[in-house]
Amino acid sequence: MSAAAEVRSLFRAFLRAGKHYPNYNIREYIQRRAREGFHDAAKLTDPSAVKSLLELGRQELEVVKRQSLVYGLYGRKFKNVLELDLPQVQPAGKPPAAASL
Amino acid sequence: MLQRAACQLLQASRLVAPAMGNLALRGLSAAPQPAEDADAGPSTSGGGSGVIEKKGIALRGVPLYLDMQATTPMDPRVIDAMLPYMTEQFGNPHSRTHLYGWESEEAVEDARKQIAGLIGADPKEIIFTSGATESNNTAIKGVASYFKDKKKHVITTQTEHKCVLDSCRWLQQRGWDVTYLPVRPDGLLDLAVLEAAMRPDTALVSVMAVNNEIGVVQPVDEIGEMCRKRGVYFHTDGAQAVGKIPVDVNKSKIDLMSISGHKIYGPKGIGALYVRRRPRVRLEALMSGGGQERGLRSGTVPTPLVVGLGAACAVAGRELQADLAHVRRLEERLRTGITSQLQGVHLNGPADPARRYPGNLNLSFAYVEGESLIMGLKEIAVSSGSACTSASLEPSYVLRALGVEEELAHTSIRYGMGRFTTDAEVERAIDMTVSHVNKLREMSPLWEMVQEGVDIKSIQWAQH
Repeated sequence: MSAAAEVRSLFRAFLRAGKHYPNYNIREYIQRRAREGFHDAAKLTDPSAVKSLLELGRQELEVVKRQSLVYGLYGRKFKNVLELDLPQVQPAGKPPAAASL
Repeated sequence: MLQRAACQLLQASRLVAPAMGNLALRGLSAAPQPAEDADAGPSTSGGGSGVIEKKGIALRGVPLYLDMQATTPMDPRVIDAMLPYMTEQFGNPHSRTHLYGWESEEAVEDARKQIAGLIGADPKEIIFTSGATESNNTAIKGVASYFKDKKKHVITTQTEHKCVLDSCRWLQQRGWDVTYLPVRPDGLLDLAVLEAAMRPDTALVSVMAVNNEIGVVQPVDEIGEMCRKRGVYFHTDGAQAVGKIPVDVNKSKIDLMSISGHKIYGPKGIGALYVRRRPRVRLEALMSGGGQERGLRSGTVPTPLVVGLGAACAVAGRELQADLAHVRRLEERLRTGITSQLQGVHLNGPADPARRYPGNLNLSFAYVEGESLIMGLKEIAVSSGSACTSASLEPSYVLRALGVEEELAHTSIRYGMGRFTTDAEVERAIDMTVSHVNKLREMSPLWEMVQEGVDIKSIQWAQH
């Protein structure tokens, strides 16, 4: 895989993982920050800088996945007032029929 | 690996009771389950979010958090770094004889490097404490104890954090002279006033870098320069500054700095004190014991908390510019959103954006009663003044030091924005603030008079 294709696939993986994060603020942060971060990194040309950023990105993606589970287990069961008015986010792996509280 | 286990768990729950899959997983969750039908209020759409009731107030959902100066949520990267040390790598970092101790010590030293890297210090200059309050106490009382025979004077400002002011009062009770410098109406310290206050027997100057109530950024570079020239130690409470604005202890000639974990998306209960080694800052320890942390702070260093603080500092270092730009943009939106729809709004703090940390927006709303406003804004979590003083009915001493009038001081609201605040939350905050202030003003006869052009101050109130 070329570096550019790896970067694109990492970016998509970030957005996919972030979409199901149980906490509203962190979910929004991941979407916003991933977009900003990858947009800025696209300007980089130095291959070693790209490689180290890719490695950092992969580690942070793992963190997102792990913490998504932790927040799902230990997070609040009530939504915040903004989320009550937004369309429901389906946490990954849960049956779509029953929305979690 | 964890994912696979969790997936298996989810599969199992789905097989066991397909219709109740959600409930089966809920059985695993640690959070207290919402009280079912018994005392739940009117259920709202879809997933049936019940009503939260605390202290006699009913909420339809969790409020939006806009109180980042009080504390911040832990960044998931920080929690991720801490969990291994809260599960299987639980050793005491001072145990020298086995793997548990060695790996714990390694984690502590790595964290020390991360913190030092954020402020431009050497790792040997970082001491771990239980928080910025302890760091402030250690800095002030420690320096004063060391110099008790040679020096007699300490300088601080009237807008410092309570722990600094209280430590200074403690010193006064033991024969020290303390000068509490006044600040200008915008909160900035006048350097000429500081210079005039310095004496040959001054041991320490303590000025916080960023104020927690109004967000004013003090001119630490110039203060540090002044102190270095006169051989006076410069201590700064950097709790609200470190990780949010660029801080360099060498550029600003800082000798002692307090760092707080829970203000920079780290854990609560941990902080650090930067103690300069070149030229050496002399300090007497407050905590006696086994001599940990270079003899300056005895007690077992709490590895998970320290690792959390280190991770928070590392993340803050990488994210500083992005966070600052984000917060600046949000502050602009919040301030102009409110001031464009309401009159009689006063900004507490410097108007110059270069002298104020944008994440801290303190506004006073004229002709509105403070308690009613805060109670009405129950769907956003904000604070009026500082959490430390909110227990008493007194208006904030910081606002009083700025010369803000009583009534305006009572109606101050502090909006705290940070890394995780979203545009939608800011929009909601604007809408709620504007609508509540308007609602309260409609009921206010004083407001009616102001609308008619009457000057409130010229009224002669009849004595009954």
